[in-house]
Amino acid sequence: MSATMPGQPLSQAARPGTAAPRGVPAWLRKTGVAVRSLALFVAAWWGLSLWNGNPIQLPDPWRVAQAMWELALEGELHEHALVSAGRIGLALVIAVAVAVPLGFVMGLSRRVEAYVDPLVELLRPISGIAWIPLALFIFGVGNTLPVFIMVYVAIFPLLLNTVAGVRGVDPKLLAAARTMGISRRATLRHVIVPAALPTVMVGLRLAFAGAWAAVVAAELIGAPSGLGFAIEWYRQLLMSPKVFGFIAMIGLVGFVCDALLRALQRKLTPWTEGTGL
Amino acid sequence: MSTIAASSPGARPARPSRRLALWQATALPLALLVAWQLWALTLPENTRAPYPSKVLATFFSLTASGDLPAALVQSLGRVLAGFGVALVLGVALGVAMGSSRALRDNLDPVIESFRPIAPMAVLPIAILWFGTGTPAALAIVSYAAFFPLLVNTVHGVSRVDRKLMQAAQTMGVPRWRILRHVLLPAALPSVLLGARLAMGVAWTAIIAAELAVGAKAGGGTSGGIGQMMFVYYAYSVDLNAIVVCMVVVGVVALAIDRLFRLAEHRLMPWRH
Repeated sequence: MSATMPGQPLSQAARPGTAAPRGVPAWLRKTGVAVRSLALFVAAWWGLSLWNGNPIQLPDPWRVAQAMWELALEGELHEHALVSAGRIGLALVIAVAVAVPLGFVMGLSRRVEAYVDPLVELLRPISGIAWIPLALFIFGVGNTLPVFIMVYVAIFPLLLNTVAGVRGVDPKLLAAARTMGISRRATLRHVIVPAALPTVMVGLRLAFAGAWAAVVAAELIGAPSGLGFAIEWYRQLLMSPKVFGFIAMIGLVGFVCDALLRALQRKLTPWTEGTGL
Repeated sequence: MSTIAASSPGARPARPSRRLALWQATALPLALLVAWQLWALTLPENTRAPYPSKVLATFFSLTASGDLPAALVQSLGRVLAGFGVALVLGVALGVAMGSSRALRDNLDPVIESFRPIAPMAVLPIAILWFGTGTPAALAIVSYAAFFPLLVNTVHGVSRVDRKLMQAAQTMGVPRWRILRHVLLPAALPSVLLGARLAMGVAWTAIIAAELAVGAKAGGGTSGGIGQMMFVYYAYSVDLNAIVVCMVVVGVVALAIDRLFRLAEHRLMPWRH
């Protein structure tokens, strides 16, 4: 019995230790499984929508695809996506500019950490979402509110990961640098920063995930544009296919941004590949 | 820059005394509170801006009137119910996906397509399906809590030592007893970690859901602490009450986190 026997379940072939079918690379097989699963999911969705019979509650996949195509042609889809992506980009830049230097100072000096950490731990449990009403009152409906909420959400994972990264630098490396008489500045630049960078990058990805979840809420409630706003707008008009289209867009933009961050991570810290970070 | 040296364990300064530690822990928060209160003194008498003494007074009056406890109980009840649904679904599917590689390979693409969709993005659908009451809030909470539970359970179950399973199978232990006595204890640390993360996002999600339902349905039926905040924002414009709600939200989040950590200590004494 060979592994290439037709009709054999794919799961058998996918098991490690079994010989891979000749001529079919692993990535292609994986894509095949993914396509099949997603096709089954779409079929189930279609069946459910036929059974439900209410296009406002559950439009069928074809209608959603049509609505997305229309929105893409009118430019509305990428317009809102770009607004949301721009806001999250700005928020991440601000959060990195605040949290990473502060994290380095806190990681290097136990005294600074002893003073600042309690404040961080007091604020951290208050979710960004809970700031929305107060921030709405201060900033009003507009661009500032979502950016503020996202900066707030993104700062904590970045800060904590930077502190942990700096603290986690191998003491032997520091001692070696000192023994070799390298200046403090060069130690920071060539030993501490590279050693802390992988953890900081993980913090950045966590910050993005948190901020992306928060931006939808912030835009839903207090912004005149963006993906969160668009979903709620079309829900009120009961144009469900467009609602589903924009929800799919949120998933897609979130996925693409995470892939970009992962690519950045690979580029900045290629040595962490496969270590689980 | 002697600070670099200070971060290596050998050069760590002597453990600070308890008094110093207390001073360090309270100095910055207290200074900010005092500055906030002093800033409020410069404002006109009937200002709407919140400040610490007024926030404290509002907290007491809201607690005495029973509004705050009632809203808190409603929100917590929804979180627990939604978390319960997610716990059953997430752990059951997680055990199945963790123990069968075929199932995992086939379901992963669908799960991963839904993971980047924020819980709040699903809220409009939940409103379309369930209206603006408790069921919609429950759906959001379950959706939010499902993914951390599932992902961590799969991770924990798939990492269980195969030798333990094979040993149990060799000795002819029935399947459900293997599940109960080998698989679940070995996967427990991951499941509990998933539960703690899930409860955190569930609490955030319920506030967001109540807030948005209050915002979009024009107040009314939903209740809960998130909606209470929205009413104070949109109708009575009481910023002190909003700050009270924010602090309560934070305290509850902290309490949830500590409870789960305590449970981790209790249920897995071998880890400490």
